[in-house]
Amino acid sequence: MYNDDRGLIADLKQENKRDLAFHTLVNKYRERLYWHIRKIVINHEDADDVLQNTFIKVWKSVGNFRGESSLYTWLYRIATNESLTFINSNKKRHFVPMNDVSEYMMNNLMSDPYFEGDKIQLKLQEAILRLPEKQRLVFNMKYFDEMKYDDMSKVLDTSVGALKASFHHAVKKVEEYLKREINEM
Amino acid sequence: MVKMDDLKNIAPELSKLKKENPYGTPDNYFDNFSARLQVKLEAEKRTIPEKQNRIIRILKPALGLAASFALIFMLVYWPLKSFMPNNVASNTEELEMNELDYLSIVEGIDENSFYALLDEPSNSVEFSDEDLISYVNTNVSEYEIYLATHY
Repeated sequence: MYNDDRGLIADLKQENKRDLAFHTLVNKYRERLYWHIRKIVINHEDADDVLQNTFIKVWKSVGNFRGESSLYTWLYRIATNESLTFINSNKKRHFVPMNDVSEYMMNNLMSDPYFEGDKIQLKLQEAILRLPEKQRLVFNMKYFDEMKYDDMSKVLDTSVGALKASFHHAVKKVEEYLKREINEM
Repeated sequence: MVKMDDLKNIAPELSKLKKENPYGTPDNYFDNFSARLQVKLEAEKRTIPEKQNRIIRILKPALGLAASFALIFMLVYWPLKSFMPNNVASNTEELEMNELDYLSIVEGIDENSFYALLDEPSNSVEFSDEDLISYVNTNVSEYEIYLATHY
């Protein structure tokens, strides 16, 4: 029905076409956004909550979307912010000290019944979880989603140069961790 | 800085790994997602009027109190205003008018005509002895006359 996002955005802003356009938007982006969120919050149940909150936020604020960025980067931006807000509020709720964040996320990974990767994939995820938050986001978006730096820059509100540097540092850290862990296996 | 092709050189162990998504979801998760979202969205739409109701619920005691004061005001102040303040208002108006009249009269009279008015013989009250005796008889008692003559 919609050839591109422009028609979708136009309909989202019209009261009488909004429901149908929103339904189309959800069907089009739910999987991509889910995997993006899941890699940040790790646990499936949490990812489901955050994905729903993301779409509710989209529903509420679509009237304010001015089309300066693409719909896709705008949605990613909302999903990222919702995920980080969720993690931070969970950390506060569970009294997790700032330096124990990766351990807390690791527990999330271990307790997730829907993790289907093998041992080496688990090691990779552990390596990613040990990265600082920004590097972790950049690594996931570049390595798994293969997102362009320009788009990533709009989503994370960071310069392309800084993103490239973050990815570089992240790759080096992941590699070091993998080398160490593979030697011990 | 890092192109994906350079990954082999920078991170050989990482580049050996098959790039795959290790996470899974429950069966039919995405098919059911839209329906579940719709339920949550409908609930969200209803919370907006509920929020307004909640505000009214919080303010209800204060609103009741305000309504009571308004009722007392209507029952007490309104009748009072209908009767009393009219008299008060007219009196003050009268006073104000008299004062204004007096000032305008005084301002209108120059000094000479003021003294002329005081000296005018028609202004001096003339009365006979009989008038004086009858005035004293009606207004002053004998005891008062006794006191006045002996001190």
